[in-house]
Amino acid sequence: MKVLALLALLLAAPGTALAQPSLVAELAETQVEITTGFTGASILVFGATALPISAQPGSPGDEVLIVAAGPVQPMVVRRKVRVLGFWLNGPSATFPDVPGYYAIAGTRPPWEMLAEPDRQERRLGLDTLPLRARGGQASPAFRAALLDLKQQEGLWAEQTAPIQVSGGQLFNARLPLPATVATGDYTVQVLLIRQARVMARQELIFRVQRVGTAAQINALAVQKPALYGLACIAIAAFAGWLGSVIFRRG
Amino acid sequence: MQVYLPIAEMSVDALLLLGIGFGVGWLSGLFGVGGGFLMTPLLILTGIPSPIAVASGACQTLGASVSGLMSHWRRGNVDARMGLTLLVGGFLGSVLGVQLFALLRRLGQVDLAVAFFYIVVLGSVGALMVRESLGAILQRNRDGQVRLHEHFWMHGLPLKVRYRKSRLYISIIPPMLVGFGIGILSAVMGVGGGFMLVPAMIYLLGMPTAVVIGTSLFQVVFVSANVTLLQSIQTGSVDVVLVLLLLAGGVSGAQFGAAMGAKLRGEETRFLLGLLVLAVAAMLFWGLVQTPEQAFVIEPAQ
Repeated sequence: MKVLALLALLLAAPGTALAQPSLVAELAETQVEITTGFTGASILVFGATALPISAQPGSPGDEVLIVAAGPVQPMVVRRKVRVLGFWLNGPSATFPDVPGYYAIAGTRPPWEMLAEPDRQERRLGLDTLPLRARGGQASPAFRAALLDLKQQEGLWAEQTAPIQVSGGQLFNARLPLPATVATGDYTVQVLLIRQARVMARQELIFRVQRVGTAAQINALAVQKPALYGLACIAIAAFAGWLGSVIFRRG
Repeated sequence: MQVYLPIAEMSVDALLLLGIGFGVGWLSGLFGVGGGFLMTPLLILTGIPSPIAVASGACQTLGASVSGLMSHWRRGNVDARMGLTLLVGGFLGSVLGVQLFALLRRLGQVDLAVAFFYIVVLGSVGALMVRESLGAILQRNRDGQVRLHEHFWMHGLPLKVRYRKSRLYISIIPPMLVGFGIGILSAVMGVGGGFMLVPAMIYLLGMPTAVVIGTSLFQVVFVSANVTLLQSIQTGSVDVVLVLLLLAGGVSGAQFGAAMGAKLRGEETRFLLGLLVLAVAAMLFWGLVQTPEQAFVIEPAQ
């Protein structure tokens, strides 16, 4: 409803468009809830621009770029090595600041919309992520493997969900969140680009959190591990006993 | 039907897990073992991370063994004194095993260590079972000498205790060592250890078969409870939702297996179980030597 109301408002006032900001964007939800039935979700980013959106190369129209990033966490990348015919985990590199989630979507790929130095500085695109291994002397293969595996897990995505434009000024994009997303605060940046320059920028936030039973189980396991362990023992013993009672009668 | 595992932080097919639980439960009912040695590798094969599979496997073994222990206790087939001796060793072993597991996790070698332990233990136990049962099948018609047990160096050890139900008067050192070894394996492999404990009690300690199963279940229940507690404190990798799904399938499967097991002869059962154990070992061995699809792995830093 919120979506429709905002879009209706924007559409109904074309005359006052110039008085309005050149970019308005919003998220359909600001909460993603991980329940016991969670299989992944998606976040709908939508909004409108003051001038018509045009994705034709060289045209004077506005363009939109959406970047979402999740909480940063340290990651270890290990290379598999063969020792005496067995494959085992060999040398490793630790990357201290790895965004758990990163997705970018635009009316065109970011490297076509912006000049290279500008794009690098604003960190738009997977190749611009500041992934430096701790110690700094890890081989570039580790960084490449991190990029590759994160994309395979669906946690990092570039241009997988293109921006849909309707009526020239309304845009929306759906950013996929796989079932393995980490909990925490996520930021979504929406950029308005005109002739290779960023004209307007809006930052939105959504939160991924566990709710219900999944949240309670995880909270107990983290905060009171001993109590959780005892509860697991009691539950497993009870389930085993209950099963034998049911099947003896049956 | 997808279910989100709150500790593993991933979503899995609940029907697949119920199916695995049922299948393993059926086999464990058929052969009279806990089935942890099948459960943990199968979980790893379905994509559950090794630490979660091992810790949750120990917890599900506890659940699966409780009902068996209760029925054996009622029939008086549990040598509690022997069980307690094994348990002292088992507790010490599982404390050490969980420390070892946490160390391996820090080094990033859990997958290798778990697979390696499984291959060595399952390979040797499976081979022994197949050899012994084949011998028994071939010798079935000959009359063998019935001997209680042989005396060797083990019986000269000090601290002798009388185990009335087991009709033994032996030192407490060998049962404690057996319990200690099984405790370590229980923590690292996520198994109860019944499939190793039973032959160790028969051939090593010379216990009568009647009390072996009940007494091994006694040790398995308490050691797996200890492992569950220690794993949740130390590595935080016991997933209770996963455990319940596996138990729901396992408890029902075990009843069908037990009904079918009653129709098979002892040697034939042991022969089939030996083959199964060898097959799991071979599968894990193949997993270690085959060229991996990915040259790299990533995981959150500890």
